[in-house]
Amino acid sequence: MIRISALESYHPIVLFVFFASCILFTMFFMHPVYLAISLISSTLLLGKLVGLRKLFKTLLYILPIFILIAISNPIFSHKGVTPLFYINYNPITLESILYGIAMATMIVSIMLWFRCYNLVMTSDKFICLFGNIIPTLALIISITLRLIPKLKDQIKQISNSQRTLGMYIDTGSILERIRSGIRILSILITWALENGIDTADSMKARGYGLKGRTTFSIFKFDKRDGIILGIILLLVSINILGEVYGYSSFYYYPYVKNMDFSVMTITFNLSYFLLLIFPTIIEIKEDLKWRSLISKI
Amino acid sequence: MAIIDIKNLSFSYPAQESKAIDNISLSIEKGEFILICGETGCGKSTLIRQLKPQIAPYGARHGEIYYNNIPLKALDDKKNASEIGYVMQNPDNQIVTDKVWHELAFGLENLAIKTPVIRRRVAEMASFFGIEGWFRKDVQDLSGGQKQLLNLASIMVMNPKVLILDEPTSQLDPIAATDFINTLYKINKELALTIILVEHRLEEVYPIADKVLVLDKGRKLIYDTPEKVGESLRSAKNHNIIYGFPTPIRIYNECNTKDKCPLTIREGSIWLSNNFKSNINKINSYKKPDNSNIVLELKDVWFRYGRELPDVLRGVSLQAYKGEIFSILGGNGSGKTTTLNVISGISSPYRGKVLLHGKKISDYKKKELYHNNIAVLPQNPQTLFVKNKVEKEFDEIIKVMKLNNDAANKKINNIAERLYIKHLFQKHPYDLSGGEQQKVALAKILLLNPKIILFDEPTKGLDGYSKKVLGEIMKELKKSHVTIIMVSHDIEFSAEYSDRCALFFDGNIVSEDDPISFFSGNSFYTTAANRMSRHIFKNAITSKDVIHLCQQS
Amino acid sequence: MSTKLKIRTSMKNITISITTVLLIIPIVILVGVKLLNDRKYNLISFIIAFLACIPFLARFENRRPQPREILCISVMSALSVAGRLIFVMLPGFKPVTAITAITGIAFGPEAGFLTGALSAIVSNIYYGQGPWTPFQMLSWGILGFIAGVLAKFNLMENKVVLTLYGIFSGILFSLMMDIWFVLSIDGLFTWKRYYIAIIGAIPFTIVYCVSNVVFLLLLSKPIGEKLERIKLKYGLMQD
Repeated sequence: MIRISALESYHPIVLFVFFASCILFTMFFMHPVYLAISLISSTLLLGKLVGLRKLFKTLLYILPIFILIAISNPIFSHKGVTPLFYINYNPITLESILYGIAMATMIVSIMLWFRCYNLVMTSDKFICLFGNIIPTLALIISITLRLIPKLKDQIKQISNSQRTLGMYIDTGSILERIRSGIRILSILITWALENGIDTADSMKARGYGLKGRTTFSIFKFDKRDGIILGIILLLVSINILGEVYGYSSFYYYPYVKNMDFSVMTITFNLSYFLLLIFPTIIEIKEDLKWRSLISKI
Repeated sequence: MAIIDIKNLSFSYPAQESKAIDNISLSIEKGEFILICGETGCGKSTLIRQLKPQIAPYGARHGEIYYNNIPLKALDDKKNASEIGYVMQNPDNQIVTDKVWHELAFGLENLAIKTPVIRRRVAEMASFFGIEGWFRKDVQDLSGGQKQLLNLASIMVMNPKVLILDEPTSQLDPIAATDFINTLYKINKELALTIILVEHRLEEVYPIADKVLVLDKGRKLIYDTPEKVGESLRSAKNHNIIYGFPTPIRIYNECNTKDKCPLTIREGSIWLSNNFKSNINKINSYKKPDNSNIVLELKDVWFRYGRELPDVLRGVSLQAYKGEIFSILGGNGSGKTTTLNVISGISSPYRGKVLLHGKKISDYKKKELYHNNIAVLPQNPQTLFVKNKVEKEFDEIIKVMKLNNDAANKKINNIAERLYIKHLFQKHPYDLSGGEQQKVALAKILLLNPKIILFDEPTKGLDGYSKKVLGEIMKELKKSHVTIIMVSHDIEFSAEYSDRCALFFDGNIVSEDDPISFFSGNSFYTTAANRMSRHIFKNAITSKDVIHLCQQS
Repeated sequence: MSTKLKIRTSMKNITISITTVLLIIPIVILVGVKLLNDRKYNLISFIIAFLACIPFLARFENRRPQPREILCISVMSALSVAGRLIFVMLPGFKPVTAITAITGIAFGPEAGFLTGALSAIVSNIYYGQGPWTPFQMLSWGILGFIAGVLAKFNLMENKVVLTLYGIFSGILFSLMMDIWFVLSIDGLFTWKRYYIAIIGAIPFTIVYCVSNVVFLLLLSKPIGEKLERIKLKYGLMQD
């Protein structure tokens, strides 16, 4: 099922700034409230992007990682001042359990954010993003992405041809399989290099290497992108401010810092939530808009 | 005013004595459609690459090329990049980026054009060529014809004054090729663009060219209008170049009439009526081959590539006899190549049987199946080459076939002589022309001593003479009781060399007969010679048949 | 390799890249430790890995490479990604390191680094980007770079050196990825956990090493020959 998400229609820069700040903040803020916000927002966004069924599948696959990290921390780390019980004379402390859970939440959130990132930042967006900063490398990535499916196709053709020569085996001893594989790879390399020269000629014939090459992209940065980017940057700055004034800092060792629920803290927490939930809101708004449009038809 | 003026141009590759281009002078007017033809290796590509210095081969060059009266060397790079467009042979290789829109913009980016202008020009081109529907696609998802059209469009977007094309249709199927030529014609007529086209497939393009340049061993043989070239070829009788020419010209060439040379089927058919009596001359039907010896049989074969995917083969049944050439014809995606894969055991059907010598193909061991038994010449012979020298390619087969040195040498020599490839032994396989690569690949599989050979699109990209050579080789093989099954788009070739033809459509064989009954029974899907002569001759399907009947009457 | 063609990356350039890397990394570590209160090693390492790639990428970018050079690097990276498909029947056998190293040997350290880093980016475009992307970029990049440097001293023609390099590269790659793994557990780096991670990863490391050695021994000569032919035939990477 191909869903065109509302997010995808935004300019790559907007999306990149959003995801970069999300991921970096998640790595940075170990405050339990912040972690909870990140976990919830990333889950919601992924759910919105892929649908409930796929979300559950992902969560099912991520759960063991969560448990593994949450458990492994107290086993390895015996820091903290509140021992709950002992295993082999090693204290298992409350602090290390809580820290383990916090860490696990962070890692899992990052994984979920990257899932969303991979869904939204398609390769052409990625290339467009870097096209202006590192044009040659962006072009190389584009060429490579063009070549990979071509090579995959060729691998199939080569293995078919070699099979009919009786020279390719995909069953048999490991050594035989390695030898067959290397043979295919070797044929593929010659083919790819020799044919690559045509591509290079085609680049030259079309004037690659002339002075002042520009970078074109079909993504237009319009007013809507500007507004959204402005909002994101504003929220990002507020959160950095919060960190500078210590509202989002937290420690687990030697004892867990007391939670503080002052108005200021809650304000900063809210601004973080607002930033992270922003794309989900955009998605939901778009859904509602379409629903009303369809009902009008 | 001549847009391109070539004066006494000679060129030779490094470390080669003979000249690849020998003292060629010619001038091309603005807006002309120039067709360049000649056998493989006659210097066509070398010549047109000289017009594009960025990709011209290294070597010694003499003489001068003028573009709009300026020496080409003095033309600045930017102008050259935008004003002289170059489209190459292989649709796949010249695509640089991964998206259609990016490919269209690539040239303009190089010319340092700003984004808003690129946006407009790309849009304009996409509309002109009807690319809008696949504008945002990955290039990988395009068909061959679409890819070549994209290549043309991404040159056109740079606003060229001269368009040079090097065998642009040789890798396309006939329908896509015709579409491509029609687009070129449209560009030439509507935009007054000068076009220089190198081509093997002349049937469609020959009549629409303003001038034809025939090259022979690097020299200018003739440079004139299509009619004049057709007429003057008569004096150069028995020249190999004639095999690539359109059917009407080939027939005209062999008959002594005094009128103008016909170029199209329509002109050809009028020309036949004017010169020959319309009594029904007929070619006798072939005598049917001995049908007693079935080597291969497909019984009600069904195949699909995945459980969820649609059927590609729907109950195919066919038989192949010992020592015959059997052609399977049909359009793209009709399932021809899949049939070949089923026959060769690469794909297994989910229903039905494939019997080889009466035994199920799945019961054969790999070695039994592919050595001394069934062999495949793939569409792309490069997939067979492993070594860096032609000679070494044979060694590895000798090893698997466990031949001793003497027997091996004898065998290799024998095959090399039959295929005329002895002189290629020391070369790198990728340095050979398409036709040569195919022959070396064929030699390699002949060493496996096959009883059945499967050919997949064997005439793709071959020039007229190479096709003839291939056809003769097939006949030779047939004499030694080898069964040949080929899958092809090439109606003319199948008509001339097969014993039986079958039409594949929608996953099944819809008709099957000897070539004469097969083609004279079809009204559209038939050879040019048959379409041209069917009103006066019965059963004439090849130009040879028509010539034979013309000479009789 | 009989013909020694001049390769763009001169010894001077290599020295510059090495010094940049050696300078930038400690600076980032220092700044990170100071600013981030000696925590968040995961974040710092993520940034370090990324920054370390920059000098190589930036110089390539500024050099305005020729189309044929661009194509060579693209082709080799595409091969290392698509090549996985050939070896799906052999779990753990991935030709990335070997192809990167061979590119480094034939075209010099810079091309080696680029091919490695690019393979990482592109394969993650297919299989999903993650925090590991910069680590893979750096690991494969450095491996390609080292192969290139060794080849400059004509060492890679020696089978023993090649084998050692294969083992070394398997171990190095494994060590780098283990750092990422350890850091991802709690953002802190402890040697104890690192050892455990390394021990836990031994079977994988062995497969890496074995596959690298096998690939290098079997591939380096034929691919090397092919690349030399390409270099000669098309006047590639000559000044």
